[in-house]
Amino acid sequence: MRGRLNASLVAGGVLVAIVVLAALVSFVWTPHDPTLVDAAGKLREPGDGYLLGADKFGRDTFSQLMVGARTTLYVGIVAVGIAALIGTPLGVLAGMTPLGWLSELIMRVNDLVFAFPALLLAVMLGAVYGAGTLTAMIAIGVATVPAFARVARAATMQVMVTDYILAARAAGRRRTAVAFRHVLPNISSVLIVQASVSFAIAILAEAALSFLGFGTRPPIPSWGRMLQESQELLFSTPRLALWPGLAIALAVLGFNLLGDGLRDYLDPKLRRIRAER
Amino acid sequence: MRRIGTWIAVGGLLLSVTACGGGSGGTGGTGGTGGQAKEESLAVGFVAEPANLDFTSTEGAAIPQALLVNVYEGLVKLDQAGQIQPLLAEKWDVSDDRKTYTFTLREGVTFTNGAPFTADDVVFSLDRVKADWKLKIKSQLDMVEDVEKKDDSTAVVTLSRPSNGFLYTMATRLGAMFSRTGVADLANKPVGTGPYQLGAWRRGDSIRLDANAKYWGTKPKISTVTLKYFKDATAMNNALLTGGIDVVSSVQAPESLQQFADTSRFQTIEGTTNGEVVLSMNNGRPPFDDKKVRQAVRHAIDHRALLDTAWAGRGQLIGSMVPPTDPWYEDRTGDYPYDVAKAKQLLGGKTYDVKMRIPNLPYAVASAQVVKSQLAQVGINAEIEPLEFPARWLDVVFTKADYDLSIINHVEPRDMGIFAGKDYYFRYDNPEYGKLLASADAGTEQEQTDDLKAAAALLSQDAAADWLFLFPNLIVAKKGVTGLPENAISESFDFTGLAKQ
Repeated sequence: MRGRLNASLVAGGVLVAIVVLAALVSFVWTPHDPTLVDAAGKLREPGDGYLLGADKFGRDTFSQLMVGARTTLYVGIVAVGIAALIGTPLGVLAGMTPLGWLSELIMRVNDLVFAFPALLLAVMLGAVYGAGTLTAMIAIGVATVPAFARVARAATMQVMVTDYILAARAAGRRRTAVAFRHVLPNISSVLIVQASVSFAIAILAEAALSFLGFGTRPPIPSWGRMLQESQELLFSTPRLALWPGLAIALAVLGFNLLGDGLRDYLDPKLRRIRAER
Repeated sequence: MRRIGTWIAVGGLLLSVTACGGGSGGTGGTGGTGGQAKEESLAVGFVAEPANLDFTSTEGAAIPQALLVNVYEGLVKLDQAGQIQPLLAEKWDVSDDRKTYTFTLREGVTFTNGAPFTADDVVFSLDRVKADWKLKIKSQLDMVEDVEKKDDSTAVVTLSRPSNGFLYTMATRLGAMFSRTGVADLANKPVGTGPYQLGAWRRGDSIRLDANAKYWGTKPKISTVTLKYFKDATAMNNALLTGGIDVVSSVQAPESLQQFADTSRFQTIEGTTNGEVVLSMNNGRPPFDDKKVRQAVRHAIDHRALLDTAWAGRGQLIGSMVPPTDPWYEDRTGDYPYDVAKAKQLLGGKTYDVKMRIPNLPYAVASAQVVKSQLAQVGINAEIEPLEFPARWLDVVFTKADYDLSIINHVEPRDMGIFAGKDYYFRYDNPEYGKLLASADAGTEQEQTDDLKAAAALLSQDAAADWLFLFPNLIVAKKGVTGLPENAISESFDFTGLAKQ
């Protein structure tokens, strides 16, 4: 029996659902072609089929936001995927290994990567391998690995001193079996929370990179680049900056709330407190 | 010839990309607005600061922009219409074989270190180009065989071959006159004959030029000009809005002009430059080795719409590699009118996937998206790949010519010659074109004009590239500032005519 739904969880879930829905729908339908340049429709005002107006290239802002959601999710999923797939095993290994030096080595290398700013890494990779969504995703992913490794290690160490692990070990279970059968399921809730928080960070990082010109390539719509392109029109047509800005803010808020909500929802301690009440 | 140096001058590098830091622009101690009697001062904002003040050893456009015509003067100068005018030479005579130029020098001219300007300084300065200058562009004066002093106010230059480019080059930094006793520390202490001299240089912030009290000509109305350097364009714009500077020397993003729409406070001046924004096509590999495909591209692009959307309609349409301020300019915009049906017909129903590798500069990124969208309508799918400028773009596109399409502003003056080198990244190879250029440089002025007109027409007809637009020169100034150089066609930003009402 899990905990009850809480406000953060619901609000976060709804915001994330909107983003996911927009992205999914954009595969089959957008009001207009988001990359079609239409000189006549330059800076078109909202209305008349263009819900949020058009940018200086005459491209429909709403369609761009929808396709941009796709880019955002894509980056988040891949970046968090990379981080989780590398970081979790490393963290579990560091938490379980009886070899003190191995644990130390993993965590110190981890600290090293952690000290390196994600954006700088992305800019560097972009300079070497060419800017693009893929390099951005890899850079953000690699930079997020330490977060997962740390959380996974701490949680693993907690689990390792429990009686059921002791029992499993006493029953002669091999380490890998213990890791998969007992450790991973018991630390999964922590990892899920970490994933949703990292997702929010990844979204922000992708937007920042695209703003700087190191992220998604034009003309593929991206919220960060929409912001950048609207910058010179900030004084005359502020709505062009408003919508992508709002989209980024809401998506980040959504994933953060979801993370918070999930933590409360999945945390056994909080559950117990609620039960006692 | 590959002259990369000045490309870096494409001011766009200091692009809007960094502009997130806007906020409070520089309001530091420029004091341009005081309005006190007599001492008139003016602050002008720039985006690229010189590394040092020695343009004989250091590449880059920022140094001559600040110093040429203002601090250093040549025998001749380029006026706003692109014509060569006398400056330190009162007049000059050209021999019949057009290989000997006799310059009659202005009398009573002194350098700011007190030394008089004589024919010895002409000999010294021109010899110095060959001996001491470290710039690649010094080869532009290779045709100078000998410089002699006839008397104190007459200098004779002998060329190895007739050259129409000689006088023009003498109007650039290569023709600047130095004092024999004033070249000890060019990097910090420039000594020239100009109306201004260096007052103070606060590195990373500003250069102050003070009026030269002993100037031989009309004394400038503004006694102190401060060149204020900004890291990004938004900060520069904000400085003008808040009164920190009086002039924005070049607006980096035309859409930002709307901030200055209030005509009771600001004036916007639009002029021309030497910058042709070229849609380069790799003539050396498929599909653009096929003239028909190149012609299709030219027909497929609606240049007016492109300029309106990508660069706020600022700038001018050109159809070939000649800006309107060159004497051999002809309007070639009608050669390939926008015609989708014609373009499709030229492609013969085929479709192509090509790579558009562009520098990550604002004008290129904006233009590329319009080009992509327009080419898609005729069946050419161009994948945009922005490369970091200058390093990556120069390496991949310019040096290795590994591209199909690219977009770059060719800022060099009178740079038709770049199409003559078949190793140049256009990979354009038409011997006829090279012949026209060679005969132009050796012929009379009339022959030069005729040959270059024919050359420009040939480029256009061959569709060696497409010319998207001529980069505009956009200046914004406080109302009441007059005498601003409208066209940015010489290497300097001429302060000498500035005044304040």
